[in-house]
Amino acid sequence: MKHIINLYENINNTARNNSDCPHVVLPEEIFFIISIIGVLENLIVLLAVIKNKNLQAPMYFFICSLAISDMLGSLYKILENILIMFRNMGYLKPRGNFETTADDIIDSLFILSLLGSIFSLSVIAADRYITIFHALQYHSIVTMRRAIVVLMVIWICCMCSGITMVIFSHHIPTVITFTSLFPLMLVFILCLYVHMFLLARSHARKISALPRANMKGAITLTILLGVFIVCWAPFVLHVLLMTFCPSNPYCACYMSLFQVNGMLIMCNAVIDPFIYAFRSPELREAFKKMIFCNSYH
Amino acid sequence: MSAPRLISNRTSQQSTFNSDYTWEYEYYEIGPISFEGLKAHKYSIVIGFWVGLAVFVIFMFFVLTLLTKTGAPHQDCTVTGRRCLEISPLPFRSSSGNSESSEKRFRMNSFVSDFGRPLEPDKVFSRQGNEESRSLFHCYINEGEHSDKAKACHQTTALDSDVQLQEAISGGRPEEELNRLMKFDIPNFVNTDQNSFGDDDLLISEPPIVLENKPVSQTSHKDLD
Repeated sequence: MKHIINLYENINNTARNNSDCPHVVLPEEIFFIISIIGVLENLIVLLAVIKNKNLQAPMYFFICSLAISDMLGSLYKILENILIMFRNMGYLKPRGNFETTADDIIDSLFILSLLGSIFSLSVIAADRYITIFHALQYHSIVTMRRAIVVLMVIWICCMCSGITMVIFSHHIPTVITFTSLFPLMLVFILCLYVHMFLLARSHARKISALPRANMKGAITLTILLGVFIVCWAPFVLHVLLMTFCPSNPYCACYMSLFQVNGMLIMCNAVIDPFIYAFRSPELREAFKKMIFCNSYH
Repeated sequence: MSAPRLISNRTSQQSTFNSDYTWEYEYYEIGPISFEGLKAHKYSIVIGFWVGLAVFVIFMFFVLTLLTKTGAPHQDCTVTGRRCLEISPLPFRSSSGNSESSEKRFRMNSFVSDFGRPLEPDKVFSRQGNEESRSLFHCYINEGEHSDKAKACHQTTALDSDVQLQEAISGGRPEEELNRLMKFDIPNFVNTDQNSFGDDDLLISEPPIVLENKPVSQTSHKDLD
């Protein structure tokens, strides 16, 4: 995966011969700004949950896990840009040991962030599913201890997988594993949410249902799933094409848009707090309290 | 095919890097890609992918919308009677101890506003603790309640299931939801103080919900943590 991730470093240094499909190069300032916004937003979510005792529930911990993985993704981009800037300014050798180690570390940070995002979203969907369908047993199924254990297991697995994938990133099974996680998780989340949605619909049928309320539910679900798909699918397809048809001109033209695809992932980190964390009124309240208390003191 | 093998095919003038170093950099240096003889547009994968993605998302939205519209919203139950007892899978959630009433109010208000439903939040949601105006069961059970509650119930029943779903999806707290819903009596629930919940403290595992037509007592709601 390193070759994928370091692609746009290459662009700055070599003359590309793909004149028919020139690589779309986005200014680094855009990446910086989006990454910094992503880091700040997710940091706010984390702080709001940590500082408020009444937000320390399993559900919010799962949202925090998502915020952490988004933050790691944005941090990755910031670090990578800084490294590239230093290298372009000549402070770093293109081949040194430090640079390769730094590259490896930030690449594993990237994969950690991706896997963390995937698993956090799945766990959030599962938590909501249990809330709806096993409401009475919710607090015995989803205890704080279990939530923390699940999160720790997920993050340890992600770390190990991230390191493994970076080490073996040029092997095809790695790529296939990585890219298959995306559709698997998508199908999983889709099933959970659609089932929840169907239940709400069946209840709404027994009472006077507001078409507008149901439309709102459809819009919410579409936004949740749509943002995930739109932000992730381009990059996943890039990885697939990179592995299986690197010299095909069609694939090359798709891969020339790598920076746009990468930016979509950064945008996902920026959008996620709005559709997960800040949809919760308690968290919004806590956030407002934090801001206003800080401005008063 | 593996990346290192491709290195040997690269043209040396394209790379300023050493060949023994980063294969990943040279992975792209596999030679100029010829763009001659393309049958389709060169960006066809890009266009096809994004069009397919847009179609998929729109299709998903329409499927979800159609799901909401299929089936006539018939009313088996009216608000008036106990014959409307609805025991089955109401997706209420267990209550925690530490929900503030103002938070609940705020929460319900925000969900109301989410739905664009012009309910007066005060009338419906402003009550605490034992207020069961939002409860589906309450609407069926407590016909002895005074009229404005029943009216509110009428207005809110439509909201409940969607609100629950919205709350679940939008990240509301499960415990508050059930707190609201279980405010009336469900005698088999074990009740404790509102603030005495531990996380492993499930007081109700699988309660048979016996709905009685008596006004709600303190007992019912603290339950389900």
